[in-house]
Amino acid sequence: MLPTPTVRSLDEKVYDPAEDSFLLLDCFEQDQGYLLEKFPPPHTIPLVVEIGAGSGIVTTFVKQNILKDGIYIATDLNPHACKAVLETAEENRVDDEKLESCQMDLTNGIKNKHVDVLIFNPPYVPADEVPAVPETDDDESWLDLALCGGPQGMDVTWKVLHGLETTLSKNGLAYILFCARNNPMDVKRDMEQLGWKVDKIIERKAGWEVLSILRFQKT
Amino acid sequence: MKFLTTNFVKCAIKTCDSSLEAFPLQYSECELVQEEQEFNPEFICHMLDRLDWQAVIKVAKDLGNTSLPPNKPEDIDPIMEDSQAILRDLHTLLVETRIVEGKMICRNCEHIYYIKNSIPNFLLPPHLC
Repeated sequence: MLPTPTVRSLDEKVYDPAEDSFLLLDCFEQDQGYLLEKFPPPHTIPLVVEIGAGSGIVTTFVKQNILKDGIYIATDLNPHACKAVLETAEENRVDDEKLESCQMDLTNGIKNKHVDVLIFNPPYVPADEVPAVPETDDDESWLDLALCGGPQGMDVTWKVLHGLETTLSKNGLAYILFCARNNPMDVKRDMEQLGWKVDKIIERKAGWEVLSILRFQKT
Repeated sequence: MKFLTTNFVKCAIKTCDSSLEAFPLQYSECELVQEEQEFNPEFICHMLDRLDWQAVIKVAKDLGNTSLPPNKPEDIDPIMEDSQAILRDLHTLLVETRIVEGKMICRNCEHIYYIKNSIPNFLLPPHLC
């Protein structure tokens, strides 16, 4: 069992690590062998990108334990999260020389077809709509962006799924988290029809939610 | 933002993707700091494989460094002494050079992005999203 990174008390506008974050850690622990085979160190240096990194716990964990030789970009819309990512990395003595924190919508500012490992814990909670990006840093509603994903909780996730072809490198992998209400098995089927290989890596009941993580790659 | 990252970021406006001018962004009014980091020759050597060298040269020039060779160094072997010198220089540039404050400008659409406290901001105003 690999150590869970320490996360200092966060700004209240940043999503605190919860069951979904921990499921991602376990997912990467479980899939480490596959990742190392795909990106054998030290000759391959994977570019690992986490969308909506929040506290930075997942990026920190993967950098510290799973793909130690990779270079990392953590993105978040939320300026408070961008700072938190760097603080969490520092707190866990992950040298930040190969970890960048960028304020960005999804992967919009990252060069196309360069991402080797994409990680996304989306705003998967069904809600009337995806909230608008607040105009000021001290707005209280930043946290809502980390949660609310439209009627099926899939609005933002589909944006990322439809962009995978452009985002990922030739050997690229995407790990995306779903809750049962997102109907992940329908997503799997739809993506397979679009020519993707989709594997369920892990699934767990967390309170009243059932969370799962799917891994996508081009066939 | 580390110099290395300039090789992986681009204008966030989708229509600029098809422009040959757009990448790399142009760096302007940048405040730099040098930070000592552990030298890992093997990392730099393998990193070199995946770098867009012309982009490295352009950004270095924006930041006032015109000393880079026009072509990507080849036949680098971390064990050889002359390779070591090249790798150490690249280490200083790519890993130890950080842009703390500055502007990144798209050479195609001329949109300006800002770097503040080392964090680059690629968010677009609503009318450009």
